[in-house]
Amino acid sequence: MTDHTAKARGIVKRKAEGKALVCHKAFSFLGDVDMDTGEIIAHGHEHEGESIAGRVLIYPETKGSSGGCVVLMSLAKTGKQPSAIVLGKAADPNIVEGAIIAGIALVCEPESDLIGEIPNGAHVRVDGEKGMVSWTD
Amino acid sequence: MKLTDEEKKMLEGGYGEVVAKAMDYLRQFGEAFDAERFVDVVYAHYPAEMSIYRGMVEDVVEYADTGARVKIPTTTSTLACDLDQWEKCGCPREIYELQARAVPAHRKMGILDTYTCTPQLVGFVPPKGSLIISVESSAIIYYNSVLGARTNRGGVFTRYSAVTGKYPLMGYLLDENRKGTHLFEIDLTADDLKTDSDYSALGFHVGAIVGSEVPVLDNIGAPNQTKMLALGAALATSGSVTLFHAPPHTAEADTVDRAFQGGKPKEICQVGKKEMRDVYDKLTNIGDSDAIDFVTLGCPHYDLEKLRYVSDWFERNDAKVHPDVRLWICTNRMTRRAAEWEGIIRSIEAAGGMVIADTCPVESHMRISTCKEFGLETPQIKAMVTDSCKMARYVGDLIGCKTALTDRDNCLKCAVAGKLV
Repeated sequence: MTDHTAKARGIVKRKAEGKALVCHKAFSFLGDVDMDTGEIIAHGHEHEGESIAGRVLIYPETKGSSGGCVVLMSLAKTGKQPSAIVLGKAADPNIVEGAIIAGIALVCEPESDLIGEIPNGAHVRVDGEKGMVSWTD
Repeated sequence: MKLTDEEKKMLEGGYGEVVAKAMDYLRQFGEAFDAERFVDVVYAHYPAEMSIYRGMVEDVVEYADTGARVKIPTTTSTLACDLDQWEKCGCPREIYELQARAVPAHRKMGILDTYTCTPQLVGFVPPKGSLIISVESSAIIYYNSVLGARTNRGGVFTRYSAVTGKYPLMGYLLDENRKGTHLFEIDLTADDLKTDSDYSALGFHVGAIVGSEVPVLDNIGAPNQTKMLALGAALATSGSVTLFHAPPHTAEADTVDRAFQGGKPKEICQVGKKEMRDVYDKLTNIGDSDAIDFVTLGCPHYDLEKLRYVSDWFERNDAKVHPDVRLWICTNRMTRRAAEWEGIIRSIEAAGGMVIADTCPVESHMRISTCKEFGLETPQIKAMVTDSCKMARYVGDLIGCKTALTDRDNCLKCAVAGKLV
């Protein structure tokens, strides 16, 4: 077991942890996820059928409808939201609004390629205040 | 963030609790993005609370009761049902009744009940350089690119900007974030880039490559208003494009060089016939001659001329929609009313089509998650033909139907034939 730490830009200044769900392609909250269950419904998605609920969702960037932030809030109403979001590129303001209301820690633009480095399923801690991501593998 | 005295007063409760709380959220948001200060915004396009999302309508009713009132002209985006024709659309009464409660709340707050994804088609045309805040990815990209107004991809905080008239100075409000990043050299003949669905396919191809960056499209033929709408809507579907330049048709750059603000593109891509064909193929999984049960036109919401076109098409061809097919042509309520005056609605309905206002299939009760909640059969649609990449992309997974992308005339031919033609 090795501990790793990486710096990132802290956006939503909360702390959270959970099991990593690492996605290698851009993610759309509208269309890619069931707004009631948190299950990934996009056909052919690498994690189709898995739930984002309580996970540390790691993906390169957000795509698609600006309805995404409403989906994120809707997920939070039933507790099916991810515990934290780690973005490879700059954060989409639309998703940040949803994350502030839903209380989801969010960091972006990490100093290294976390999508390549963090194994799917690893336990990840996100500190949005300090802008830190740490994990154990 | 550096606040003016007036903004401090707003934040500290000098204008009441509602304004103070709104300013607090906007400040948190601005500080998350290292914004230096607030700016005044002159227009807001607001996300109408849809009754298919848990708790949203109850929330706005409660918010309106706090005495919140908008400070700037504010229009509303789409709802989860057509407030007049919900029953004919198969929408459960609970969804309609809950949705209808949002209307008096919006009016109480001073919000205009436009309920459309294309507010720019009903007279909300902010000038170049004006600072605004908008939801609805297809409107956002149109405002930024075609009109040259400035907005980020707004969300639920649009409410707070509407009641304060403030937004943090960040993102696409700043010159430095508006320069082109990728150059797309488009090598298509007038025949290959002709219909709205062609422009949609072009946008879908480019959006998937640039993601959240700023594409510059060179040589986009002879676009008109609806083609630019189709292009933008698709760019913001496969990617999250907020701004594109297509000199000389977009507001900020009349040449490719100016679109890059003196810099160089980080990538240069060619777009030809093959790339276009690939999009049509990717969004079509209904087999040749397979039966279809739904045709959607009007994503984004149609203007009056397009409704006239459809009614003329049915008259010209003396055709009727196949009995097994539902044809939805989506628009806003103002345009629908205008089309009523012109006899267009009567003529489309006589041919078996429906002109839907306020909503569209993907925003409606037909989503699988909503059907499950209300005990409705799924999928509500088995095979949909549309001329919009945005519609095709979302209904596939959200409604669970097969899709085909084709141009408007062909969509109408399919609606008549009851199969892919």
